[in-house]
Amino acid sequence: MKKLTYTAFVAFCSSVVTLLIAAALAPDRPAGTERTEPTYTLAEVERHANEDSCWIAVEGFVYDVTEYLPMHPTRPDILLERCGREATDGMRTKGYGRDHSPSAWALLGDYRIGNLEG
Amino acid sequence: MNKPRLLPWLVAVIPILIAVLYLRRGDVATPGAVLNGLGRLTGIGGLAFLLVSAALSCRVPGFDRPFGGLTKLWQTHHKLGGTALLLVLAHPVLLALGAAEVSITAAARTLVPARLDWSAVSGWSALLVMLVFLAPSFSFFGSPEYQRWRNLHRLATVAVVAALAHTTLAARTIAEPLNTIMWSGLAAAAVAAVAWRFVFSRRKGRLSYVVERVAHPASGLVELSLAPRADALTYEPGQFVYLAPYDHALRAGFGEEHPYTLSSSPTESLLRVAIKDLGDASRAIQRISTGSEVRIEGPYGAFFPRGDTHEPELWIAGGIGITPFLARARHLAATESHRAGPVDVNLIYGVQDETRAHFLDELERLAERTPGFRVTMHYFYREGPLQHEFLARHCPDFTARTAYVCGPVPLIELAEQLLAAAGVPRARIRTEEFTLL
Repeated sequence: MKKLTYTAFVAFCSSVVTLLIAAALAPDRPAGTERTEPTYTLAEVERHANEDSCWIAVEGFVYDVTEYLPMHPTRPDILLERCGREATDGMRTKGYGRDHSPSAWALLGDYRIGNLEG
Repeated sequence: MNKPRLLPWLVAVIPILIAVLYLRRGDVATPGAVLNGLGRLTGIGGLAFLLVSAALSCRVPGFDRPFGGLTKLWQTHHKLGGTALLLVLAHPVLLALGAAEVSITAAARTLVPARLDWSAVSGWSALLVMLVFLAPSFSFFGSPEYQRWRNLHRLATVAVVAALAHTTLAARTIAEPLNTIMWSGLAAAAVAAVAWRFVFSRRKGRLSYVVERVAHPASGLVELSLAPRADALTYEPGQFVYLAPYDHALRAGFGEEHPYTLSSSPTESLLRVAIKDLGDASRAIQRISTGSEVRIEGPYGAFFPRGDTHEPELWIAGGIGITPFLARARHLAATESHRAGPVDVNLIYGVQDETRAHFLDELERLAERTPGFRVTMHYFYREGPLQHEFLARHCPDFTARTAYVCGPVPLIELAEQLLAAAGVPRARIRTEEFTLL
């Protein structure tokens, strides 16, 4: 057990250091990917309020998360009831005061379709 | 492995199994999701193993018996703790690798969030404190001195509190209220164990004794005879105690508790403890003053079965590992007159040379008084390591006996190999290590 735990300890240190260095060296956003996006009103977002088309508005942006619905790690209705709505609160608190993880926020970015008017 | 020893592992695995039941389709949708799921499972497992290991550290006298004695219980505690460390080390790395599916920045942010929150602070605190207090247990940087290791090990309490805080803040796999109920139950067991060790056992569990006689059977070896001040310890031959000396004249180890084997028969009015100078505290105690106080906690250990047995036995002792056998031999001689028939015990006592054959004179006298008890010396300088041929020559029916082995780990391992190779089933080989880890 001594050898095993020590090996794991060394592997842990090298993995963490490698990840942190790789992240520090990687550019935040690849050059030339700035997007010019359409702007939607909240009324337009509200028309996509079911599992066939689920848009949400979060912190001034609009996201189409329809394809993500089955992958969300809670009961399906938790995210479904936010469809077609301003969901910033849900993202920031999960409904009980806990923010979503940085990777969840980064993942959300992949579903962005435009800006929210106003 | 016997059933009680398996039980802590089963309890520690339960939270992981429950968490697996709560995994959803999304948790296996992509490689990143799988890594994230494994990251959460290792976190849950890490805390569960940590708490069960903590609960086993309580050292309640008698509680160790079903586990095969306190040293065996410590081994289980040690392995559970090691498993907790492995899981906890894997936890953040797996979560970060899971996030790497999104971007390398998300992976790094998983390890170190942009806005440092309590969840991250408590998680990292628990992990780093675990590394600090477990590094000596697994000899990361050489073998530590016993008392320093013990003091560092108390940081386990900080790690447990931080890990519980982290889990309360970050848990999202198992639904409420099951999540809270499950962790509260395991935490309560750990808290009860720590409370026993540091509050109850200090006040009620320790018996006060006075050093009545100090005998020196050989240089570097002392046998203390202790008289109870009030309640006397109830014990069986071959068990051990934690002993803390309170003699201000001691050069080291004042008030520090160390495990020592009882060498007396329970029929004696005084408690005897044989101590070899193997470290700072055991060296200092060689010069303990008569009339000074020692406090005793115990008894522990389940080396010999309870009560009398007429089964044929083979005892293999190495060096100071003779003490539990000395206690049993003294007990067999003391109870000789009330026994129905003779015992059948063959002791092989291995030491380097004649000068290290501690208590041999007394053992030979005891053998004369106890029909069926024979002593055979094995000198390493003359015979080399213990061999099948030596056992067969001095104890031809050794494979038919229940074997008891106590001594340094290399001797125990060698004896186990010899006995197993000769066809002695594992259940008939009982061992007691002198080292705790």
